[in-house]
Amino acid sequence: MANKPQLSIYWAASCGGCEIAILNLHERLLDLDAAFDLVFCPCLLDTKKKDIEALPDRSIALTLVNGALRTGENREMARLLRRKSQLLIGFGACAHQGGIPALANLDPAGPLPAIYLEGPTTPNPARTLPLPETTVPEGTLQLPPFLGRVAPLAEEVAVDYFIPGCPPEPEQVWKALDPVIQGKPLPPLGSALGAGRSAVCAECGRRKREKKISRFHRTWEIVPDPEQCLLDQGLVCMGPATRDGCGALCPQVSMPCTGCYGPPEGVADQGAAMVAALGSILDIGPITGLSPEEIAARIDEVLGSLPDAAGTFYKYSLAGSLLKGRLP
Amino acid sequence: MRIGVYFCRCGGIISEKIREEAVRAGLAAVAADLHVAAFDFLCSEEGKGFLAQDLREHGVERVVIGACSPREHESTFRRVLTGAGLNPFLLQMANVREQIAWVTDGEGEATAKAVRYLRAAVRRVSLHQPLLKKEIAVCPEVLVIGGGPAGLKAALTIAQAGRKAIVVEKSPIIGGLPVRYEELFPTLECGPCMLEPVLDEVLHGEAAANIELLTLAEVTGLKGFYGNFTATIRRRPRYVDGTACIGCLQCAEACPASAANPFNYGLSERKAISVPFDGALPNVPFIEPGLCLHLSGEECRACREACPLEGTIRLDEGEELLELQAGAVVVATGAGLYDSRAIPGLGHGILPGVHTAAEFERLLAANGPTGGELAIGAGEGPGTVAIVHCVGSLDPAHREYCSGICCQVAFKFNQLIRKKVPGTRIVHLFREIVVAGKEDSFLYHQARQDEDTVFCRYPEIGALGIRLEDGRMVIEIRHQGGTETIAADLVVLCPAVVPAEGSGELASLLETPLDRWGFFEEMHGRVDPVQSKVKGIYLAGSCQGPMDIRQAMGQGLAAAGAILSRLVPGRRLELPPITAVVAADRCSGCGVCQGLCPFKAMTFDPERRVAAVSEVLCQGCGTCVAACPAGAITGNHFTDAAITAEIEALLS
Repeated sequence: MANKPQLSIYWAASCGGCEIAILNLHERLLDLDAAFDLVFCPCLLDTKKKDIEALPDRSIALTLVNGALRTGENREMARLLRRKSQLLIGFGACAHQGGIPALANLDPAGPLPAIYLEGPTTPNPARTLPLPETTVPEGTLQLPPFLGRVAPLAEEVAVDYFIPGCPPEPEQVWKALDPVIQGKPLPPLGSALGAGRSAVCAECGRRKREKKISRFHRTWEIVPDPEQCLLDQGLVCMGPATRDGCGALCPQVSMPCTGCYGPPEGVADQGAAMVAALGSILDIGPITGLSPEEIAARIDEVLGSLPDAAGTFYKYSLAGSLLKGRLP
Repeated sequence: MRIGVYFCRCGGIISEKIREEAVRAGLAAVAADLHVAAFDFLCSEEGKGFLAQDLREHGVERVVIGACSPREHESTFRRVLTGAGLNPFLLQMANVREQIAWVTDGEGEATAKAVRYLRAAVRRVSLHQPLLKKEIAVCPEVLVIGGGPAGLKAALTIAQAGRKAIVVEKSPIIGGLPVRYEELFPTLECGPCMLEPVLDEVLHGEAAANIELLTLAEVTGLKGFYGNFTATIRRRPRYVDGTACIGCLQCAEACPASAANPFNYGLSERKAISVPFDGALPNVPFIEPGLCLHLSGEECRACREACPLEGTIRLDEGEELLELQAGAVVVATGAGLYDSRAIPGLGHGILPGVHTAAEFERLLAANGPTGGELAIGAGEGPGTVAIVHCVGSLDPAHREYCSGICCQVAFKFNQLIRKKVPGTRIVHLFREIVVAGKEDSFLYHQARQDEDTVFCRYPEIGALGIRLEDGRMVIEIRHQGGTETIAADLVVLCPAVVPAEGSGELASLLETPLDRWGFFEEMHGRVDPVQSKVKGIYLAGSCQGPMDIRQAMGQGLAAAGAILSRLVPGRRLELPPITAVVAADRCSGCGVCQGLCPFKAMTFDPERRVAAVSEVLCQGCGTCVAACPAGAITGNHFTDAAITAEIEALLS
């Protein structure tokens, strides 16, 4: 057994869904186990950081890192695993573009005041906050500090490939891992594995027509036509600005795509791409002869039906966007 | 890759603000293989010669020119590149004159800014792709929609150049509105006499063989693009063979059915088979199917029996659908008048003595319903005519604009009424008087000097009320200070000029945009006034706004000229290569780009479920490029990579 290549799986700021996605490989798990010796996986194994530190550099054949970089510990582990691994793959939306944890970047104050000071069920008259270091009689306790900003994995270490998705679809996970196991030639470094090069609409069978949106709807406000494109019906479906590969599972069952596969090939900023697209198809009626103020008012009226722009357009990609979630 | 940076001193205009040596130093590290040179006037013959020679001598592969605005000399320098054996698109200009030398304070700041501009241009040009112009064959024939003055002038000009023009006219006659007018402003020239030679040229002149005239016809479809349009035309039957008919009108005399004549605005009757009025061209009667007893299923053949030429009247004629090829289209569908019934206080359509200018023209015309006889007053001394200007004009509730021709019409009426019924009192009710132009104030001065003509300004159209009192019209003018009343025997309304009926349908069929008032919109109202927003579709006459005959004829000539100069038989259509390109493997078929293109260049391939851009129609505006959420559309010469590199270099 000792001759098998080594595999490590690390979770940074993530929800554990990516581990479930691996579990969803079902019988393929046996193939994965046959191919690799799992040396590190905080979700499953008790191996510690010091065990990894003890390994020679580049001794791990493959490391899958899921989750965004949120704390000093995340960053330290990312650097360590990069050093110890031959191939490092960013697994899932959070490692790729920051994912949902990166929405924290919209709150420059950080989560601590809201949790420890403002929570109505958290009486904290002494206004105690967790600190990176706390001295107690037994010694000094350490907590990993928050980084100034939630970052995607590639901002800290060189990432060889990424497998997008929240979580990645098991079929696609296998499509990505199989060539690695087989030792087949891999695409150019930096490519997406287990995903397409186009957008979700390419896999969505709904009928599309020329788009004009005069009002946005939230999913609970309308019962969408089962055949028509959801975006055409005023539901903000991120499909057009999201990489394909998932099989368009959500829109096929009338749930608008929320964009978890990240931007399509060659698109630098998923949210900006969607905003530019919507800006082009917003229907504010005839504008010839209207003053700029009247036009702006009409646009505002249509946009008024669209709550939470950042959470809609950058649900999974804020940290990887051009602005990286910086607030003015 | 060797990149050449050429700094133009512009004879000191640039170099006195931007320090050449500092620019050279600032560029040193921006690219591995950089060749920097400077010249006094790069755009001069000497400068272009130097550039061409220097490019060859130093084996330059990409060129940056730091000089003036690309609008001024980009094409100049592109030609130099072509001459030097380089693809002309491997050039990037940095506008260091207008954007830096002219507007930046201080040498230091200007120089630093110029270095940034040039660095950005170097980064950008290194990502430029060579682009090739393509050519396609064109159809030289021209489709003219509308047989009024503008359309006919365009068709005639095209035909006189030996080219074929197809005129599609909705009504049974040609000549448009002015052939219904007896006399025309500003010189009171006889309308039919002035237009008849033009119409005759179209029908029988030397170039007539080049004109295919389709009356009672409408365009029902247009597909294709500039140089290669295919039009579908629906032609209603005239029921009379135009080539055999001698125009004796014995058929009309024999016809037992009649109804109101719309060409005289219902002021007279016409037969089911008739000509709209005497002198209408082509002089061939037509049958109105709704009126004809035979076509309504009855046993009448009166016209056919009366016709001296057997077989000329063809009651079994049916509708035709024609398909025609054309390289360009002229829209010359004319205008209409604002419906004065929308202003109920004026009594139009209710009071028998209230007429619009168009109706009044027919009452004045010798071939009109009264034979040109004008009855004013009840015979007890001279009567009064009130002419209301600005009906629906200059009024945000109706039409904000001034139509510019109604005053002229009103003062023409002044002269004609005076001539026909001397002694008539004429009252001009107006909001503004507009008679601009070198010939155009004559009639106005005549009216002003006339003893029996009175001018009265009214505050707004809503302040006018016309009612019938003891057989005469009483006009009430509600001024701020009080109410004035004027009694009149006849009221003539001069309504605003509005788009012709059906303009909206035609515009959506041609996919050419209309302006806020529903007139056809020009590419640019001043510098490109006869080109529509769609390449190959031209505009002429009052379909694009109120205008007089002189302007309409000028527009017709201009449209023909533009077509003759651009759509030349044998010359292939050169397609500029700065277009949008769809990467089919990246297009998801989401449909966001469909319907955005202002030039009809974007289509959808339903089989492959991907978008496609016609490189013939695409103008390279980039609308679809910016909209594509999958990054599947690239703007040639404006790729994301090149623009991002440029911005990064500018900001670094």
